[in-house]
Amino acid sequence: MFKKYIYCSLLFFGLSACKKEITLPLDMNQSMLVIDAVITDEMGPYYVKLNRSLAVTDAATFPGVVNAMVVIKDNFGQIDTLNHTKNGLYLTNKIKGVYGRTYFLEVLVDGNKYTAQSTMPQKVVLDSLRINTFNINGTIRYSVIPVYEDPISLGNSYRFIQKINDTLDKTFHVFNDNLNNGKVNQRPLRGGTDSLEVKLNDLVAVEMQCITRETYLYYYTLNQQSGAGPGGGTTPSNPPSNLIGGALGLFSAHTVQKRGINIK
Amino acid sequence: MMLKNTGLYFSFLLLFLAVSLSAQEKMVINGSIRDQQTGESLIRAAIKINEIPGLGVLSNEYGFYALALPSGKYTITVSQIGYEKLQQQVDLKANLSLTLYLIPTTSLKEVVVESSKKNDNLLKPQMGTETLNLNAIRKVPVIFGEKDILKTLQLLPGVKSAGEGNSGFYVRGGGADQNLILLDEAPVYNASHLLGFFSTFNSDAIKDATLIKGNGPAQYGGRLSSVLDVKMKEGNNQDFNVNGGLGLISSRLSVEGPLQKDKSSFIVSGRRTYADIFLRASEEFKDNILYFYDLNMKANYKIDEKNKLFISGYFGKDELGLGDSFGINWGNKTGTIRWNRILSNKLFLNTSFIYSDYNYNVQLKNGATNFNVNSNIKDLNLKQDYSFYVNPKNTLRFGFNSILHTITPSTFSGTVINSNPKAGRNGLENAIYISNYYKPNDDLSVDYGMRLSAYSLMGGDEYVIYENDLIKNKIKLDKNNFGKTYLNPEPRITANYRLAEQVSIKAGYARNVQHLHLLSNSTASSPSDQWIGNSYNIQPEIADQISLGYVQGFQKNNFELSTELYFKNLQNQLDYKDGAEINTLADIESALLYGIGRAYGIELLFKKKEGVLTGWISYTLSKTERKINGINQNNWYNAKQDRTHDLSIVGVYTINSSWSVSSVFVFNTGDAVTFPTGKYLIQGQTLYQYASRNANRMPSNHRMDLSVTYDKKRKKRIQESWNFSLYNVYGRENAYQINFQEDPKDASRTQVIQTSLFRWVPSITYQFKF
Repeated sequence: MFKKYIYCSLLFFGLSACKKEITLPLDMNQSMLVIDAVITDEMGPYYVKLNRSLAVTDAATFPGVVNAMVVIKDNFGQIDTLNHTKNGLYLTNKIKGVYGRTYFLEVLVDGNKYTAQSTMPQKVVLDSLRINTFNINGTIRYSVIPVYEDPISLGNSYRFIQKINDTLDKTFHVFNDNLNNGKVNQRPLRGGTDSLEVKLNDLVAVEMQCITRETYLYYYTLNQQSGAGPGGGTTPSNPPSNLIGGALGLFSAHTVQKRGINIK
Repeated sequence: MMLKNTGLYFSFLLLFLAVSLSAQEKMVINGSIRDQQTGESLIRAAIKINEIPGLGVLSNEYGFYALALPSGKYTITVSQIGYEKLQQQVDLKANLSLTLYLIPTTSLKEVVVESSKKNDNLLKPQMGTETLNLNAIRKVPVIFGEKDILKTLQLLPGVKSAGEGNSGFYVRGGGADQNLILLDEAPVYNASHLLGFFSTFNSDAIKDATLIKGNGPAQYGGRLSSVLDVKMKEGNNQDFNVNGGLGLISSRLSVEGPLQKDKSSFIVSGRRTYADIFLRASEEFKDNILYFYDLNMKANYKIDEKNKLFISGYFGKDELGLGDSFGINWGNKTGTIRWNRILSNKLFLNTSFIYSDYNYNVQLKNGATNFNVNSNIKDLNLKQDYSFYVNPKNTLRFGFNSILHTITPSTFSGTVINSNPKAGRNGLENAIYISNYYKPNDDLSVDYGMRLSAYSLMGGDEYVIYENDLIKNKIKLDKNNFGKTYLNPEPRITANYRLAEQVSIKAGYARNVQHLHLLSNSTASSPSDQWIGNSYNIQPEIADQISLGYVQGFQKNNFELSTELYFKNLQNQLDYKDGAEINTLADIESALLYGIGRAYGIELLFKKKEGVLTGWISYTLSKTERKINGINQNNWYNAKQDRTHDLSIVGVYTINSSWSVSSVFVFNTGDAVTFPTGKYLIQGQTLYQYASRNANRMPSNHRMDLSVTYDKKRKKRIQESWNFSLYNVYGRENAYQINFQEDPKDASRTQVIQTSLFRWVPSITYQFKF
């Protein structure tokens, strides 16, 4: 919000910010294992994606890690060894995602072991989606409000994935109940300056996930770091993750609900 | 607690007084030094006795001086930058009260920065001290043509700008919150307008500004890095004046004059921006609100020859918003009542009662729903400061300061959330100090002293005590009850020794303690940054600084080279855990990390002080690091403001009595930042991988500014001047921000995008006085 204002203010002084592409001397550190693992309350199979990080200047064709041993267990005795399909994508066979259960991930690659655990939170019902309008300088801006009632207990976290006419909104929308514990949500999915904007007649699909504190922290940290530089944002670092063993990424057990709305 | 403090205070005092009372009895001359045209008191004027070389004093902050001499005939010489030297004969037979008036010089000899290191000021041992001459800074080009003491200060060695066009500053590796900014003794908690592009100081209302870089005398305390002591004008007690200026961004108007001639005067000075008037005219931005204003007021009243009363106030406010749906405003209010009293011909007392308030609000409104955030810090402050002119070799300074802080961090309210009323917390900050300025001869001077500061936690919101991230205990104090008290001695010493006529060396050590801390998780300063006092977890920040200096004058001191080396050690520095939600957390202390810091460097300043061309070259080579538990694998890392090289060249060329040209060139190493070392894919999105904190650099910054000032010949009463300036003459695109993003044309490629703000900013300012 502030950054937007700085630009706004400068605009008034007859100035405009000037943007251009530059090249920087960037150092490449060691390529690291990346684990993107998910278990939900939807029907399986669930996936674990393994790949390796690349240099910033490389083309983003991430090489999959194909020689890993991947196992997911839960605290009710289910054990599932995942099968590699292609390009580092591993799928479960039989394990079921149930909220309240704790899931344990184990990945073995080249003699190194990486572990994580995640407890799937209770499902909070997504009642509906509603449209929020905002009039700025005579233009009506639209956004979508996910309607749900936060439970009385403190500590619920949510993630929303928004697709506008099938295009993914890249903002990580994560909410918690620090301020509105036990209340019906009235906060819209509004992104940063460069996020996709919802317009009249758009079809918006929203996936609501009830996530753990760790998953919330992971995405919230990423959000805070957007726009790093002297103009704003916190000093970037790798977001805190629940993975142990020195890999990048996250293991998230969460519930999933989906709804859509037509902006009228 | 209070009792204990008071006891210590008195034992201190007695100790020093015992030493001083043994001095022999002499006649005393005392009084004040004033401007002949306006009656303004003059600070730091040098008073010397021609018949006794080596004997001399400086006038204090209120223009007061006192000298003890055996009876006899003397010639007193008074000198001050910007004024003709005054010689006055006196025949001293009894104690004498004498007000001396100086005549301002014509503009040819103006010097923008006077430092303690001038020949006259070799009297002073003070290190790292720079005083800005407000009358002359108007010629130095600044962005938007808005002359600004904070921006001019950034051109001095050891002082770094918080960003391009920004009025925030860092001194010798300290954070922006480690500067004590005083306006007529009242602390200003947020000294910037419009997200940092302007400072809160309307230069029309300012008389004098002094920056002390970490070696402050004992009467100053509470911040680690520096003291910026800004004094408002008192107002002309001879004649009415209207003074104003029109600029592209803002306009200013001041009125000053006598309330009773020679006895009392007032000044009222206001400033407001008017970008919002243009905004309203445009369809695209008609709902945008954007302005700031400030108002300075001061009045003084001479009760009798021995008592004088001053009242001063400052109100400033910023408003940003969109119609009635969104608004942010913040502002400072300060008020000071001061009573100058001459207790005896050797003892001068100033008592001040100070109020200071910083307030920050956000409102969001959409239909029936609304959301508000509010944060506030309030101070009630009582200060007593005694200057005791013991004898020509010793001047004692002692006193106390008590501040009651009420700090309320972000409090939320509104229809969409649970309101979480916070009571805020109180804290009592006390300090007693004593220092002696000892000058046994013309070559040596020493200023030594001790400050004892204490911070007592008081009631309000609950204090939670953490140990290894876990809650260990909770303490709830009643509103007026005291909890833990931190007590910190702060020894200070600076010495100056003149090796030869134009060469002197200086050395100093100071400990500074800071009991209030600014919590900011943004790399840019924001009005939402919160202050927090010490607590059971947060310990006072401590800085120890050692500095060494060398000053040499050339050609009758027309040229001067000064060098200072400093080393600074910082304790109990604060930072956040990654991802800390600083505004919504129930207890912010659960997200804090603690560590240490160090800073060292060398500062060079070469000045040309007289002639048609004046100016300076300032260069700083420095290093600033932090080591915080939980950041960067607990290893040392560069602080954001660690800029290795920092160069400023300032020149003012006076063509004739009407025209002058000035220019500024700056070069500095880019900020220490963290760039990604790699990228990876999560949930179908490209994320960046990071290694060490702040191991990378923004590109170097440099630019040149030009300005031309035309002073129209005075017509009857009216005096007019024009200033034309061009910021960033050669249109350098300095990096304001660097972002990494996917190339919109080729998603597999990462683009590095640099944003730069100011290229060729012209401005014009018209100034008048009648």
